[in-house]
Amino acid sequence: MAIEDVFSSKGRMKILRILAEIRELNISEIARRAGLNYSTTNQHLQVLERHNLVRHKTFGRIRIFRYNEENPRARMIKQLIDLWEQTK
Amino acid sequence: MPRHSSVFKDESKLDINYVPQHLLHRKLQLNLLNQFFRFVVERPGKMTQRALIMGKIGTGKTVLSQHFGLKIAKEAKQRNINLNYVHVNCRECKGSLFMILQRTMTKFYPTFPRRGYSAEELLQALMQVLDEKDAYLILTLDELESLVGNEGSDPLYNLSRIQEDRLDAPKRLSLICILRQPDCLDKLDPSTRSTLQRNIIQMEEYSESQLEDILDDRVNLAFRDGTVPPQTLGIIAELGNSEGGNARYAIELLWRAGKYADALEMQQVLPECVRKAVVSVYPVVRRDMILAFSLHEKLFILGVARHFKKSDSAYMSMGEAEEAYALVCEEYDEKRRGHTQIWKYVKALSAAGIIETLVSGVGQRGKTTMISLSRVPASDLEQELVKLLSQEGGGEGQWR
Repeated sequence: MAIEDVFSSKGRMKILRILAEIRELNISEIARRAGLNYSTTNQHLQVLERHNLVRHKTFGRIRIFRYNEENPRARMIKQLIDLWEQTK
Repeated sequence: MPRHSSVFKDESKLDINYVPQHLLHRKLQLNLLNQFFRFVVERPGKMTQRALIMGKIGTGKTVLSQHFGLKIAKEAKQRNINLNYVHVNCRECKGSLFMILQRTMTKFYPTFPRRGYSAEELLQALMQVLDEKDAYLILTLDELESLVGNEGSDPLYNLSRIQEDRLDAPKRLSLICILRQPDCLDKLDPSTRSTLQRNIIQMEEYSESQLEDILDDRVNLAFRDGTVPPQTLGIIAELGNSEGGNARYAIELLWRAGKYADALEMQQVLPECVRKAVVSVYPVVRRDMILAFSLHEKLFILGVARHFKKSDSAYMSMGEAEEAYALVCEEYDEKRRGHTQIWKYVKALSAAGIIETLVSGVGQRGKTTMISLSRVPASDLEQELVKLLSQEGGGEGQWR
């Protein structure tokens, strides 16, 4: 995926911003905070996971997504978000 | 004019949640708990344990358990063992295993979803988290009556069985149950009861001299030097003793007496302050108990208290209680809850001993629940609630 594919989607950026701040959340909560519906959120998360920007863990029926801080790209995006938020 | 300086140096040491560094007169019980759970730090994962702490109100059950939890978690940390002590009050969780487990889970996963699964699934998830973090858990279920009363034997059975299902996995979950009424054990099935009854720690009532020692210890921590004369301590210890060796009551009395001394701008907490405090502390209605109720439960009791303040009758009907509650809701600009929800409040408040209920009999048309407030003067209860509600959110007419 090209960089513009991540940055051009408002939904994906919202999700990244939320996870970068909170670190771990389940889909419903991410959807609620991002103002998106469940299935859109799920689709965005799958894209982000394919590109290693987020990871997930399963507890029975519950899936928890976390920001993948081990990935240098994800770390850089988080730095950008933090800087953006600080200088708003 | 010189400003009056407070008799307190650190009020928090009299708080209901304060855990003292040294537990007075509970050495034997503490040693017993240490013996029961020694394996957690010596051979973690090899076994689990269940213990039961029983005793009357104010005999130090909660503080014993919390003190033990802090110490053993510290020792485990020194040995690089990830041991977690979690203390949950079942009454605050409305006697629901789901809420108890959820509270426990949030210690490990603060953002864990709050709904969408069952208590059994949550228990499985908790075990998974413990496995992943290679963590051990001592879970204390305080006021177990509430859980057993609400859900019977199943929760304790499930908590025990979860370990038995994991034959080869490390044993990670141990339980401490705290109980006030021994007859609650009769509601458990025989196998759960027998496993719990293996390790019982009985808390005896504090004697007057023991209470005096405890109060003296707290005075040194909470009050400025020389502000609490020995005769004041003597009176409080005597009153605590007459309330069934109730240290919690005695400590609250000490705090209130200090508050009266401050309000009257006195340099010392004199026996007169204690006498004033006695009138305002009812052993059956603890301040922390009222604090634990939800906003609408508080509003409901306020309505009931106000009704009885004006009325000479001993009972009020459910309908009258709902009307009184509706008035209070209006005053605090809160949307009133429906009948079914109010009925749940009545049951919860009755279980907590704040109100008493009986079903109407001859002389009353139809069938209704009659509510009474037999133990506490309505005006004092009203005063306490108004104070609490204003602390929570602004006061009359400006709620929120």
